[in-house]
Amino acid sequence: MTAAVNDDLLDDELVQNPSPYYAMLRERFPCYWNERWRGWVLSRYDDVYAAMHSPRYLADRITPWYMNRLNDEERERYKLTYQALHSFVVFTDPPDHTRLRKIFSRAFTPKAVQTMRAITEEMVAWHLDQWEHGRTIDLNAEFAYPLPANVISTIIGARREDLHRLQHWAEAITTLLLAGVGDDTRLDRAQAALIEFKAYLKVLYDERIDNPRNDMMSWLMEVQRTDPLLTEDDVLHSCIILLNAGHETTQTLICNTLTTLLDLPEQFEFLRRNPQAMKTAIEEGLRYNGPLKGTIRLAGEDMELHGQHVEKGDRILLLMGAANRDPAKFEDPERFVPTRDPNPHLSFSHGIHFCLGAPLARMEAEIAFNEILRRFPKMEVRSPVRWEPRILGRSIQAPIHLQLG
Amino acid sequence: MAARKLVAIRVNASLCVGSGMCVATHPDKFALQPDGHSLYTAAVLDEAAALEAEELCPVSAISLVYDDNEEAR
Repeated sequence: MTAAVNDDLLDDELVQNPSPYYAMLRERFPCYWNERWRGWVLSRYDDVYAAMHSPRYLADRITPWYMNRLNDEERERYKLTYQALHSFVVFTDPPDHTRLRKIFSRAFTPKAVQTMRAITEEMVAWHLDQWEHGRTIDLNAEFAYPLPANVISTIIGARREDLHRLQHWAEAITTLLLAGVGDDTRLDRAQAALIEFKAYLKVLYDERIDNPRNDMMSWLMEVQRTDPLLTEDDVLHSCIILLNAGHETTQTLICNTLTTLLDLPEQFEFLRRNPQAMKTAIEEGLRYNGPLKGTIRLAGEDMELHGQHVEKGDRILLLMGAANRDPAKFEDPERFVPTRDPNPHLSFSHGIHFCLGAPLARMEAEIAFNEILRRFPKMEVRSPVRWEPRILGRSIQAPIHLQLG
Repeated sequence: MAARKLVAIRVNASLCVGSGMCVATHPDKFALQPDGHSLYTAAVLDEAAALEAEELCPVSAISLVYDDNEEAR
């Protein structure tokens, strides 16, 4: 019966247009065992939502990999990588998660994010000043990549002349996380990057011990000072995850949403005339083509789900991409509706792993799109829109060429 | 100006994502409900705790309601 389901999550047809596949899973196989991926797949909104809010679904998939998949020699060799990844909040469960997340408690409050507005506006303007009318630009290289990377690096307190080094390290780590562990050269590159990255951040850390500044590293250190459970390593690793998260996902949000809008000229024109609708349009962009199709959990115990027996330790893929287009939750889910409100999409996850950088990403996207639409009322995508073959991520293959009007 | 009296601490369910920031900061005041949303559950209204939770909430779902009918901030 299940022979009809394509188990190849990287199949080109599925990658380019996942909607029909998602609909089939939601309707017929809400809890599906994917033999090729070796895990369960959940696709209905209610199930993905419940999993994100349930302590029975564990986020730490690093420890089982480190303990069970590596031999003694490898464990010794990649100890540093494990220690760093294991202190990334996205890969921890309570009580570790509760302790580690405290570091960020004041970093991304909506109030703190307002102080980042001026930096973001200045950087958006600087980048768009380089765009001349009539030219064809490379959206990633000339905007979507450097903007969030520069914003987060500046906020953390890195020096501008060091940005290219941060980008190199962030890329090595992101490659490991998104492409999956298991390839030794990727692991070696990521570990080398982690060591250099941490040494670099340690210098910034030491500079701030006696001279705190008005930057995020200093805010995290302030939380650490008042909490005996938090260590210097926790702060340094947290800065690494912030820099990483700030690089990849916001870039993808900008590319996916702008490309979607340029494919819908009426909506583009509507937003150009109604910049106050940009907030809901960005949420719709997140729902419609969010930067992540899915996220992984492990079953914390045996469970019965839609007549299937899920065993403790089984991998579970939560398909936000499918949940976000579930007609049981969203009216007319296959249509991009820029004024959709409320829009309870799951693209930032939900529950204790809800993206703490969400207020920053939302602000960056709003400033960027309103300024782009104001300055360049006419734009055309001049390269084919091809989605990258990735299991978790949903991004368009670079380069994306935009012809400016 | 007469002192305003705090009459309610609200969590907007359509904004709340259940991040649990409020619960982690004040576990004796806020609690996550079975539907995933947070709720102020303490019998007595603690203004200081609510103001801190309001500030820390990543989606600004918490609001304080005063007897002059104005929601704080």
